[in-house]
Amino acid sequence: MIAITDLQKIYRMGDVEVRALDGVTLDIAKGEFLGIMGASGSGKTTLLHMLGLLDIPTSGGIEIDGTDVSLLNDHEKTMFRLYKLGYVFQDYALVPDLTVMENVSLPAMLRKDLTEKQYHDASIDILTKIGMLDRQDHLPRELSGGQQQRVSIARAIVNKPDILFADEPCANLDTENSRMVLDLFKEINEEMQQTIVMVSHEDWHKEYFHRIIRLQDGKVISDGTTGTKAH
Amino acid sequence: MGKKELKVAFLLALRSLQRGSRSSVILTILIIGMCFTNMIFLPGLFNGIGQSITKQVVDYEIGNVLVSPKSGDQYVSDLGATLSLINGMPGVERATPHFTKGATLKYRQRILGASVRAISPNDEKSISPLYTKMIAGSYLGQDDTGEVIIGKPVAGDASIRQEDEFQSSLGGVRVGDSITIDYGNGYVKDYRVKGIYFTGWSQADSAVYVTSTDMALVDPKAVDNADYITVKAKPGYSETFIKNELIQYGVSQKVQTTSDLLAKSMGRALQSFAIINMVSLIVSIIITTVVLFIVITIKTINSRRQIGILKAIGVDKEVIMHNYGFQVIILGVLGIILGIIVTLGLAAYMAIHPVVTPEWSATLYITPMDLLVNSVILFCAAVVAGYVPAYQVSREDIQTAMRA
Repeated sequence: MIAITDLQKIYRMGDVEVRALDGVTLDIAKGEFLGIMGASGSGKTTLLHMLGLLDIPTSGGIEIDGTDVSLLNDHEKTMFRLYKLGYVFQDYALVPDLTVMENVSLPAMLRKDLTEKQYHDASIDILTKIGMLDRQDHLPRELSGGQQQRVSIARAIVNKPDILFADEPCANLDTENSRMVLDLFKEINEEMQQTIVMVSHEDWHKEYFHRIIRLQDGKVISDGTTGTKAH
Repeated sequence: MGKKELKVAFLLALRSLQRGSRSSVILTILIIGMCFTNMIFLPGLFNGIGQSITKQVVDYEIGNVLVSPKSGDQYVSDLGATLSLINGMPGVERATPHFTKGATLKYRQRILGASVRAISPNDEKSISPLYTKMIAGSYLGQDDTGEVIIGKPVAGDASIRQEDEFQSSLGGVRVGDSITIDYGNGYVKDYRVKGIYFTGWSQADSAVYVTSTDMALVDPKAVDNADYITVKAKPGYSETFIKNELIQYGVSQKVQTTSDLLAKSMGRALQSFAIINMVSLIVSIIITTVVLFIVITIKTINSRRQIGILKAIGVDKEVIMHNYGFQVIILGVLGIILGIIVTLGLAAYMAIHPVVTPEWSATLYITPMDLLVNSVILFCAAVVAGYVPAYQVSREDIQTAMRA
């Protein structure tokens, strides 16, 4: 599903060169729940941003579902993100002026292949699934952190993306809420065969992953399955 | 950009305004509204002054068209034939002669210089609303002799001491009093004051009126001569049409429209008004543009991370740009509506309480076209001011935006 070849990302800060990613080569299979772990500054988020087309690699290639994403122009990348990718951010990143329903519906509203009824029904289904339907008219500021993150997940999967990217989604949550979010990821992964790539630095999260890669100084230092069964 | 994208952009804009900082929205609308009012108020007032002066000149001085002696002549001669000719023309409501003599008015110990205007009272009613402006007594009868009507400032106020007067007067003449008029040709005659009028037009108010019949006794030349003839056009006939018609029909005197005369006498003033209007317009546009630019720039700067997030979840940069564009459009439209309401409110207030000076009185003169043109100008300025920062921020790459 995702093929990464010799991915490099070099930032230049004045005369200093920082290798955020240094020759990462990796394949991610469909339906996999992959954890990217590593210390701060190891390149986890950079890798996630490269895979999610939020940043451009210095060199190397990324193929998603057979598409060489480096060949896409700006608009095509936007459409690729809209139709094929979903994102969950550490700080939820909900639009503060939109209600829960509007936040969840937003990506679906832009799809040309969905009618108003279809995206509304899809949003209702997702909100029901995450147990937030009764909060559909609330604004993000009226929700707890855990609830906001669940809404953020709902927004990410409303378009039924091929791949879901999550960048430390539990970083701002307590253990109870973190577990709730991870359970939700697990459920989505199992029920919808949703490919999930999640960045985390919490060791206990690994029980949820099928496979974990560890990064250090922009390089993959380990890549292994956890024993949790992938689909 | 499809319909769906525009719908999403509009939703984002609407929600941002509905649920964002209410004080910022209200303040922005207020500023745009005040800018609109500023854009239209001064020109409207100047137009009102111009309209007021024009109306008063037409009503109390020269009508729509003035027929005055041709170069080298002192009077419009052969008056009877000339009046018959003019009054018979299509489009002419009425033509009436004025014969004016300088004189000294005397009342008790007071002496005052004034113009004595001889009119044909019945014809004058078709030309001038003077007869409706009587504040005491009555208007002149067609063949009155020995009777005069005088302006309120000429009559004066008995309760004001002479040294305290703003404008010299006869010190409190009342209807029925007798005043002496000492004409420039040495003819002295006592008149009974038949009425006192007040028009608000200083030149008319500082004059006195007698009948042409009476003036013929004072100066025999008044019988078949006039200083000028005022011509009133029928509704629907333009001044220029009447002027051309008079010339075409062989009126050999000097023929000028009110516009011709005002252009000569007020040309400089009108030019000054135009410059002030232009400065006012430019300043208002600049203020509106800068304010909206700042508002949208601050909004976009504060929302850079959110813009990055929106792009990350697949919202196209055009949608993001139009989101801010729609916000500006909504703010601009609401500001313009507020401005129109304030302006119409001011116009209504000034219709009841006009600006009054000793020379003229004026209200706010604003046409629907003025409102439309200023609305369009301000709207365009607002759109430019909003779209520039929106365009810039929507082009920012996701990483830079998300790191903000």
